[in-house]
Amino acid sequence: MTTDGVPSWEEVARDHGRFLYNVAYRLSGNDDDARDLVQESLLRVRRGLETYQPGSFEGWLARIVTNVFLDEVRRKRRRPVQALPDDPDRVLPAMAGADDAAAAAGLSAEIQEALAGLPEEFRVPVVLRDVADQTYEDIAGTLGVPVGTVRSRLHRGRRMLRAALVESGVVQ
Amino acid sequence: MSAPPEDLLSAYLDDELDAGERARVERQLEESAEWRELHRELRETRELLRGLPIRDAPAGFFDGLLERGVTGAVPIDAKRRRTRIVSWVAGGAAAAAIVAVVLVPGQTRVKPAVATFVSSHAARSSVSEEPVSELAPVAGPVRLGR
Repeated sequence: MTTDGVPSWEEVARDHGRFLYNVAYRLSGNDDDARDLVQESLLRVRRGLETYQPGSFEGWLARIVTNVFLDEVRRKRRRPVQALPDDPDRVLPAMAGADDAAAAAGLSAEIQEALAGLPEEFRVPVVLRDVADQTYEDIAGTLGVPVGTVRSRLHRGRRMLRAALVESGVVQ
Repeated sequence: MSAPPEDLLSAYLDDELDAGERARVERQLEESAEWRELHRELRETRELLRGLPIRDAPAGFFDGLLERGVTGAVPIDAKRRRTRIVSWVAGGAAAAAIVAVVLVPGQTRVKPAVATFVSSHAARSSVSEEPVSELAPVAGPVRLGR
């Protein structure tokens, strides 16, 4: 930790790497892209730490990884993201206190596939809200859109996800 | 009073409504079975997402980054460019190999043709000019039994 209370990037990697990787994986839908996103995000973290204003640190990280993801999406617009199923050997249980229903039911691969099938416009707010636990205001700030737009996209994203889960037989 | 916009229901689940909006949604939930069903579906979907296990990075990923320092990391673009160059070189080598296989055999044909050479050699080395019969007397007759 530096004297002004701002962590070094090594501390960010060590203490928040798991959060960063999880968000990157849920956004991108595969490990290769998640690794690239985390690596690039940590580069930006390193550059941005000097100007970081103390606040929600994970919110700041979520914003960085989302921006890296959206930059990549724009760059490879013509190459669709292919979701790969979770490797059960590397999936650890959710953090204590979180609802582990999906893991318990062994449905994470199907849910991830449905999530990866959402257009980015809807996937990003869903991941930021339900994976990164960001407020609507944080999400609006990250995406540069009004809170009402976040509310609408999140709702549509969840409905689309629901339809995909019904289609794949995960829910009825 | 008209029904509130449907997206208020997601915001209701996320506790992102002010008191007035919250009261509107709760009134609508009391009155509409359709809204109650949608509320149940959205809540279930949200719980499934929130229950997804944490996805961990491959073993050693962060240790590697920490070891070499993030500045030593290869930026995405450079890495992809390098991968693309390797692909082009590999593609070029494969194309060259295909060209070699298709075109080169025509240049290395044996002259004269092996079959022609064998038959003319056999004819020359045979007294009777009938090559097959010349091969027969090489060994003595085989006797079977006593």
